[in-house]
Amino acid sequence: MSKSKHYPAYFLIGTLLLYVVLYLLPGLIGIGYSFTDWSAFSDKVNFLGYDHMFDNYIKAFSDVKYFGYLGNTLLFTFVTTIVKNVLGLALAVLLTRQVKLLNFHRAVMYIPAVLSALIVGMIFKSILHPADGLLNSTLKIFGIKGVKWLTDPKIAFWSVMGVDIWKGMGYIMTIFIAGIMSISPTYYEAAEIDGAGGWQKFRAITLPMLAPTMTVTTVLNVIYGLRVFDMVYALTNGGPGYVTEVLYTGIYKEFGYGKYAMGTTLSSIMFVFMAIIGYFLIRAMNRNEVEE
Amino acid sequence: MKKTLALLLTALMLLSLAACAQPAPAAEAAPAAPATEAAAEATEAPVQKDITLTFMASQDWVQDAELALAQKFTEQTGIKVDYQIVPSDQYPNLLQTKLNSGECTDIFCSQAGRFDIVTTLNVAKNAADLTAEPWVATMEATAAAEVTADGKVYGQPMQDTSAVWAIAYNKKIFSDLGLSIPKSWAEFTAVCDAILATGVTPVYEPVSDGWHHVLWFAEMGAAYEKAEPGLVDALNGNTKKIADSAIMKTAVAQIKEMADKGYWGENYMADVYADQPAKMASGEYAMTVANQGLPQQIADLNSGLTADDIGFFVIPLADNQMLNVNPVGPTRFIYSGSANVEAAKQYLAFLAQPENLQYMIDNVAKFQNLPFSGLTPKYAGTVKEFYDMYSEKGTVLQTAVKYVNPQWMEIGKEIVSVIQGMQDDMTMLGNLDKNRADQAMAAQDAAW
Repeated sequence: MSKSKHYPAYFLIGTLLLYVVLYLLPGLIGIGYSFTDWSAFSDKVNFLGYDHMFDNYIKAFSDVKYFGYLGNTLLFTFVTTIVKNVLGLALAVLLTRQVKLLNFHRAVMYIPAVLSALIVGMIFKSILHPADGLLNSTLKIFGIKGVKWLTDPKIAFWSVMGVDIWKGMGYIMTIFIAGIMSISPTYYEAAEIDGAGGWQKFRAITLPMLAPTMTVTTVLNVIYGLRVFDMVYALTNGGPGYVTEVLYTGIYKEFGYGKYAMGTTLSSIMFVFMAIIGYFLIRAMNRNEVEE
Repeated sequence: MKKTLALLLTALMLLSLAACAQPAPAAEAAPAAPATEAAAEATEAPVQKDITLTFMASQDWVQDAELALAQKFTEQTGIKVDYQIVPSDQYPNLLQTKLNSGECTDIFCSQAGRFDIVTTLNVAKNAADLTAEPWVATMEATAAAEVTADGKVYGQPMQDTSAVWAIAYNKKIFSDLGLSIPKSWAEFTAVCDAILATGVTPVYEPVSDGWHHVLWFAEMGAAYEKAEPGLVDALNGNTKKIADSAIMKTAVAQIKEMADKGYWGENYMADVYADQPAKMASGEYAMTVANQGLPQQIADLNSGLTADDIGFFVIPLADNQMLNVNPVGPTRFIYSGSANVEAAKQYLAFLAQPENLQYMIDNVAKFQNLPFSGLTPKYAGTVKEFYDMYSEKGTVLQTAVKYVNPQWMEIGKEIVSVIQGMQDDMTMLGNLDKNRADQAMAAQDAAW
């Protein structure tokens, strides 16, 4: 390739400028606002002072309510990431076999992923209605008394996670299918000659060969989990009480109540979380690539 | 040469990007755009004919009858009125942003309230003084007090403020069971028990919407003040906390009792406000907290119930027997930074003409009266009977006490946490105090 075909370095300027102006600068200004008393109740924005500059952060970590948002977000991320990966992988293994109507089954599993989370949320709100929802009505036919899926504080958050897993696993499955299809069949043939069973083939060939794919799905799930908003908003709007509130629904409400400084504080905490988790995930990903 | 060309291309690309970026803020500010247009027109040509007044309101606040009046106004004066209607969940935020950034419409609407117009709207800075307007004298005193700050009138009420949130009951169910209107909490629970025993759910309470169940707590303001005289002033002066009020604690406990005893049915957490008329019409529920528009809505469903089959009595929590009035409603304000203050004043004066107010009452189903003198209200018999039943009146909590109305939805969540056993009533009342303090300090209230 001749040297002139490379783009010169100053081509970066435009992108860099846009990136700085549209991403970096607003981000930094946002973090700056978290050290102020910015709110809708006053048109003045005052710096909190050096003695009190971390007041918003102290409040975010000491207030049971905000701490609960953080805990819920992490729980949501942890549970949905693991379950989506496990179920997505199981479905992918099933749907890479010789099954009748293979593409139909794949499409059925994938369809929820293309629906908007708000629509899924609204549909499930009606399905999970305690009195005349589809789920409890069906259970009633079999003589089982249904529970209050979205309004019982002990169950609500698990229902939200369940709906999110239902919606998200088809997408993860598709990525896994692509990963499995890229594994050369010669490995399986060799294993079969050696007399390996289905489980041994899965454990010794499929799983290790899928490690890079799994890193990708994990990164996607973790990032999605941390910034979940629409599913919770549509299903429970954080209720009953505050039990299903996650960071982004919390941030949205802080802004709604006009507590702008608290909103930016929570956003800044989220940013730091994402940066740390992103850093480690990318490192893990790179290590996998090196090992290959 | 190539380098120069590349540089030139980069510059061009940046320029085009900048050009692309430009429409974005303009689009965001679109609702305010006509204001600047109008301002420009006003300065270029002082002839009134070219003025377009911009008017911003939350959905449901502007009635078709008002739009018809606006058209009539345009025909008479040549001044056009451009109504911008915003979804209600986004409205308070958008209005605050516009006021804080100095880009508001000529006329804006907001809930009034003698405290909120100072702390939230900052009317002294953001709204034009309307004290000298001719229609101010015709405003009812209670309504006028809620749009007045420091002796100056800033707003014009736009809706019926006479409707009261009370318990609407199915008269047929009551007479079948030989029940009469309860006058105390004990009588109310006895009525509920009697209804529950027949398999009918005593109360339809749509908690799912987040705001409706708060009415049980906040509409009792007058009863709280009666039980603990001086409470309202003490709360506003920050010499007493909500958590220190025994009567408010009682009310919260009674709300929980209703839920625990099954008066609200099995699925109140999932019930929605939109189903209220249908649920009441079905006969599955005997009572619900509603205002006086409900009987007509139930009658319109053709369920066999007429408007007169629905009666009202005040919410008897904390043994309340006073009519809970709330003279606050959506209100029109003129933006002080508007270039068309005079034309806007002219429009408000037009809307406040007796024949136009009467036109609104006659043509808007949910309006039974408007808070101005010299009008003919259209109260139905059952509603009038209800208003006449109570000799004492008192103001609701969210209007009498500062920093309650802005945290309405949060109070809803706090109450649910109590009902569901996730926190006790003292924690809830303490959280209300905490939220009030947050807002008071942000507003630099001297009492905090």
